[in-house]
Amino acid sequence: MVDVSQHNLVPEHSVLDNGGVEAVLEDYGVDRTDLPKITRRDPALPDEAEVGDVIEIRRDSRTADNALVYRLVVDS
Amino acid sequence: MTEITTEIEDSVEDTRLPRRLKEEVYGTIEDREVTPKEASEIAAAVESRYLDTRIDPLDPVGTVSAQSIGEPGTQMTMNTFHYAGVAEIDVTQGLPRLIELVDARKTPDTPMMTVHLEDEYAEDREKAHEVVWSIEATKILALGDISTNVADMLVRVDLNEGTLAERWPTAEDTEEVAIEIADIIEDSLGVSTARDGMAIEFGPEEPSYRDLFRLVEELRDVTFKGIEDVNRVVIRKEQLAPGREEFVLYTEGSAFGDALEIEGVDASRTTCNNIHEIYRVLGVEAARETIIEETMNTLEEQGLDDVNVRHLMLVADIMTNDGTIQSIGRHGISGSKDSVLARAAFEVTVNHLLDAAINGEIDDLNGVTENVIVGKPIKLGTGDVDLRMGAARREDQASEGDGEEARAD
Repeated sequence: MVDVSQHNLVPEHSVLDNGGVEAVLEDYGVDRTDLPKITRRDPALPDEAEVGDVIEIRRDSRTADNALVYRLVVDS
Repeated sequence: MTEITTEIEDSVEDTRLPRRLKEEVYGTIEDREVTPKEASEIAAAVESRYLDTRIDPLDPVGTVSAQSIGEPGTQMTMNTFHYAGVAEIDVTQGLPRLIELVDARKTPDTPMMTVHLEDEYAEDREKAHEVVWSIEATKILALGDISTNVADMLVRVDLNEGTLAERWPTAEDTEEVAIEIADIIEDSLGVSTARDGMAIEFGPEEPSYRDLFRLVEELRDVTFKGIEDVNRVVIRKEQLAPGREEFVLYTEGSAFGDALEIEGVDASRTTCNNIHEIYRVLGVEAARETIIEETMNTLEEQGLDDVNVRHLMLVADIMTNDGTIQSIGRHGISGSKDSVLARAAFEVTVNHLLDAAINGEIDDLNGVTENVIVGKPIKLGTGDVDLRMGAARREDQASEGDGEEARAD
């Protein structure tokens, strides 16, 4: 299998710890389920990610420097 | 000409500009004669302009994006086929391509891959050709001649030795390749073959004209080497950076996952124009990136490159919001709106109203469409801002006139 994370199109994915999740939700004023989703079987997901985790994605943005976005891991 | 001193740096870093704009400010200052005072004025002016141009709360960004993509869409070609961009490969362009992207079709009209090669393969034409042959599907007609001997009920394949040597550059001798081909024929057609040098003969078990011709038909479809879905590969020498030329392959037909596994293929730069294949192999973030890239390229190809990329980013964000790729339209985003009235207003009105009635759905009237239907103010822009007065304080300060107490809610 090829290492998906090495591809130019795939930004860095990392699992956000609980404290980080709280801060993000507080900052945006939303619930966990309001976040964009990522499926459990997504090839770019880190191995340790489980359903319910929040993934922090560091995109190389076209309009800003780096863009941090968050996706909630969901089943299916 | 101006050196960036710590003083200038401080004044620029103090602004709320994103990194990219800060770099641009530094670049501009460096090019000219600027005093530190002027530099800080420049930084302040850029910052205020930047804050000014940001989207206001309650701005209908979706509607603005829809119009910003829709209007240029009216100027695009209706022609599906166009030999533009890449050497002799047909690529769907213009409006049909844009529609295909936002509809998230399972397979594009003209799937293609751009295959970049690893260092040693990218510089050497011979090595690059090795990769070409392991990607392009090789059918029997490319390897030799087929003849049918009706009298003896035999199909005879005369392999061309030169072609074998060319297409299997790594094999020791062509005899081996012929054996391999005979094996593939046996496996895929279920017949036993007799081989004599470059000639392979086989026939149906029972003498039958129909079976004989069926075997010939089936033989034409067997893939002997390469990826079945890739019909053609074009090799081009390209200058990617000054002084650095490399071979890049363009394929007609795509099989992204398989292509990445092939030796010599650079699995970090190779791409494909099928967003679903990208999604399957690289995940939802890569799919989002590809949607933006492909829509932007489609617009640019038509000279409509002044569409702001943010509109396309919004479209891509919405399409990948739920972790899979959803199409814009009845089967995707528009069909999954919360409001019954909004869905009914879009397409297949009666079905939506009927289903909603059966399920006892409730419409909260939050969106645009449903409020237009019932004639309420739309909750957008100034339509969602109320003026309120603090009732308690009005009593004691009635005489002073307390305009400040009015606040946006």
